[in-house]
Amino acid sequence: MTYYFMFFVAGFAGSFHCIGMCGGFACALGRDARGGGSTVLRHLLYNSGRLTTYCFLGGLAGAVGQVLCTSQGTVVPLLSAPLDLGQRILAIVAGGLMIVMAMQFFGRLQSLHRIAVGFGGSTLAASLRSLLTAPGAAAPLAFGVFNGFLPCPLVYAFVAQAASTAGPLSGTLTMAAFGLGTFPAMLMMGAIGRLLAPSWRQRGVWLAGTCILLLGLITLGRGILPLAAHMAHNWPGGPSV
Amino acid sequence: MTAPDDGLCRHCLLPVGSRGMQRMIDGENRTFCCYGCCIAHQVKSGRTEEWEAAWLLIRLGVGGFLSMNIMLFSLLLYTGAFTGVDARLLPSIHVLLWIFATPAVLILGGPFLRETWHHVLQGRLTSSALIVLGVGAAYLYSAFAVIEGGTHVYFDTASMVLMLFTVGRYLEAAGRARAARDLHPLLAAESEWATVVEGEIETRRPVREVNAATLVRVRPGERIPVDGVIVEGQSHTDEAVMTGESRQVAKGVGSAVIAGSINLDGPLLIRSSGTGNATRWAQICRSVRDALIRRSPTQRIADKVVGLSVPLVLALGGMTVLYWAQHLPFDRALLIGLAVLVVACPCAVGLAAPMATSLAIGRLARCGCVVRDPAALEILARTRLLAFDKTGTLTCGRARVVGIECDGAPPDEVLARAAGLERHSEHGVAQAIATAAAARRLTPVATGDIRVVPGRGIRGSANGQMAAAGSSAFMRELGWPPSPALAARAQAMEMSGHSMVYVGWGERVHGVLSLDDTPLPEARATVEALRRSGLKVMLLTGDLAQVAQRVGGAVGIEDIRAGLSPEAKCAALDRCRQDHDVVAMVGDGLNDGPVLAGADIGIAVGSATDLARETASLVLPPGGLWMLPWIVGVARAVRQIILTNLMWAFGYNLVALTMAACGLLQPILAAAVMAGSSLLVVMNSLRLERLPGPAAPLLPGRASIAEVEAASAPRRGVPAMAGQAGG
Repeated sequence: MTYYFMFFVAGFAGSFHCIGMCGGFACALGRDARGGGSTVLRHLLYNSGRLTTYCFLGGLAGAVGQVLCTSQGTVVPLLSAPLDLGQRILAIVAGGLMIVMAMQFFGRLQSLHRIAVGFGGSTLAASLRSLLTAPGAAAPLAFGVFNGFLPCPLVYAFVAQAASTAGPLSGTLTMAAFGLGTFPAMLMMGAIGRLLAPSWRQRGVWLAGTCILLLGLITLGRGILPLAAHMAHNWPGGPSV
Repeated sequence: MTAPDDGLCRHCLLPVGSRGMQRMIDGENRTFCCYGCCIAHQVKSGRTEEWEAAWLLIRLGVGGFLSMNIMLFSLLLYTGAFTGVDARLLPSIHVLLWIFATPAVLILGGPFLRETWHHVLQGRLTSSALIVLGVGAAYLYSAFAVIEGGTHVYFDTASMVLMLFTVGRYLEAAGRARAARDLHPLLAAESEWATVVEGEIETRRPVREVNAATLVRVRPGERIPVDGVIVEGQSHTDEAVMTGESRQVAKGVGSAVIAGSINLDGPLLIRSSGTGNATRWAQICRSVRDALIRRSPTQRIADKVVGLSVPLVLALGGMTVLYWAQHLPFDRALLIGLAVLVVACPCAVGLAAPMATSLAIGRLARCGCVVRDPAALEILARTRLLAFDKTGTLTCGRARVVGIECDGAPPDEVLARAAGLERHSEHGVAQAIATAAAARRLTPVATGDIRVVPGRGIRGSANGQMAAAGSSAFMRELGWPPSPALAARAQAMEMSGHSMVYVGWGERVHGVLSLDDTPLPEARATVEALRRSGLKVMLLTGDLAQVAQRVGGAVGIEDIRAGLSPEAKCAALDRCRQDHDVVAMVGDGLNDGPVLAGADIGIAVGSATDLARETASLVLPPGGLWMLPWIVGVARAVRQIILTNLMWAFGYNLVALTMAACGLLQPILAAAVMAGSSLLVVMNSLRLERLPGPAAPLLPGRASIAEVEAASAPRRGVPAMAGQAGG
């Protein structure tokens, strides 16, 4: 549970990064002419669309992780019990990916950033603008769903994390926790209706980067440390021999 | 500014085939070839204020929302999250899934259902029928399972298959639009607008309403809409559409510009020289449109296979269900049958040829090469023998002065006197002599009292003396026999196919001009390049054997058939076809129409005739002979890509079908790989975009504009003259 809370916090911190792009969408989604209630509904629909996509990605990544792990051996309930080899490798890969993503938040590895974000993102975003102004309750929902698929290093990092949990349920919960974490900031953006000052945004991005970096290191540690113990264990002349 | 409705999809410009559908967008009725193109077009170019533009996207988004939720819950079901204590939740979860699935299937499946219904009304079964049947079966079975309290529901399969197919079609359409990107400006030529200047007023008018002698303003960056002459302004233009070479050509007042070329950097005012839709550019566009609508033989075969495969697959799916139902629970058997239906969707087969062909047609048309029939590319790729016509194809097609034999006068004087006489004639020979004199910067000797003797020559008086130019018979009539040495040299030249013009004054012949049709400078390199790419090259001509030998030697062709009438040329081609299977004929399109039509593929170079009445299926721009090796390369690449596409689509379908029938492929996975296979075909076809453009040969005549201009005087002259003049 603490683990999922950590994702929630990371999502919350990371949402300062979201304000850059998705925040713009939330602002553009704007207010409903019919009053406050409708506006809140609009933004809730948008965000639940986004959350559904995140959960779906998480569940899918978790299932893929599980398939990878079961082909390696038995699946062990995550987070508390010792991890098996496949899951550890996944954890190392996911941790590495998260650290790489975190580096981008600090302005490193810009070429990688272009690969990650430039992958059809701009055309998708441009083509979706027609949804922003469309009336009705379905449009914000649909927009949220597509928004969730927009290329974003933050989402990639957490999808990697979800894959490393090696279970659809845990994967879904990981992304759900992250998605819920981004709720407050995005709802706030919808409410305030304008962007934060650039200096604040910069600070938010740094905070997000630090969070992801920490999470990446923890995930990496989860992969490497038991592996190290495991190797020491089986080392000829090691404690178990 | 819209193209007329013409049987081409508005999004990807492929022919609207059996899957065609119409939709109102931005207030006009547009035709699309498939559902995917419909979505992609609205995403790309639908106006944002239009509710309809967003409507499809909203449906897709809501469908995605529902099916992702279904998928999430189903994933949890499959991984056993609701076992043990939570098992009592199972029925309510099933009902929840049903509630989600019903709108999802309706929203996402609606277009497929409508398509199937339309086709069934027309008495056809298409691939959408497979999807509708499979998904419908999965949905209905699951609904019964919920009512009966069964343990397994497959709502996830139903919605995800639909979702994957919809997304697959969208992505495929987006890829096809990339291929059509180059074709859009081509097809726009007829619907293009011109800025017409009348007095002080500038109006925008469709190009087809522009008449001759109209003033048209062209801004930098615009395409020049009409043929004409510049009356104001200076600029550079890119005439790749005429010459195939993308390079800057400097233009000033008085320069001629051609429709379709791009005005690069200066505003121009042009006086049009003809009507807007009579330009070669407009003709190219019309024939590109015609070519795109026609189907190549490969495509026709593929379409037939697709048409046949649908009922076969339906039968196979039914048999699979029956077979597995004897060994497994019915729901598992149904699922296997569904996988068979989904994986056998022959979408990729239908895409294999048209995309590659239309890409290549667009690529060639931008260089001024017009493919009038998509089959031409496939035939050209299989061609083993190229037969060339001589006059106007390998040669300039015009007589030029290639040598001067003198007797007691300098060659320049002979030429100047001949030019002075021939100034008054309009014969082709006269033009050649005038050009040669001008190239040597000679002033024609002023000649008066001119008399033209038809079929013989021309005479007059210059500097108080009688002067004459014409045949040897003409000279004999005048009583001016040439000296024996000169006569012998002239006769030798005449034997080898030159036309001779005797020039005399002061009661005797002073020189003989020899005229000949010279090989094009790029001909040799072109023939060599063709031979390097494994083609046999031969020369078919109606001319004298000696002339043919000389030209053949100059351009490097050994296999020569001379003295052939047009019928004999056709017969010669037929004989070659026995040895070489597929033969192509290259001609100028003027004199050899029947021969071009008689070959497997006729290629016309620089045809002056109306493209619509052209008999050749491939038309190169004037002076475009050098592009021939490149075109052969493109044709071969197209054929290779079509073959790999077909092999991939068929092979993949067979393997996946076998796996599905054996129960080794999940329906959702099957839908994913099926959508992937269409995408792969699209990506494979897009490789054609990366083909290099035609490489201009480095020849004196076409090195670069600056060089040509600097060196034009000596190089454009008569190189052979200097050598022979002294001899």
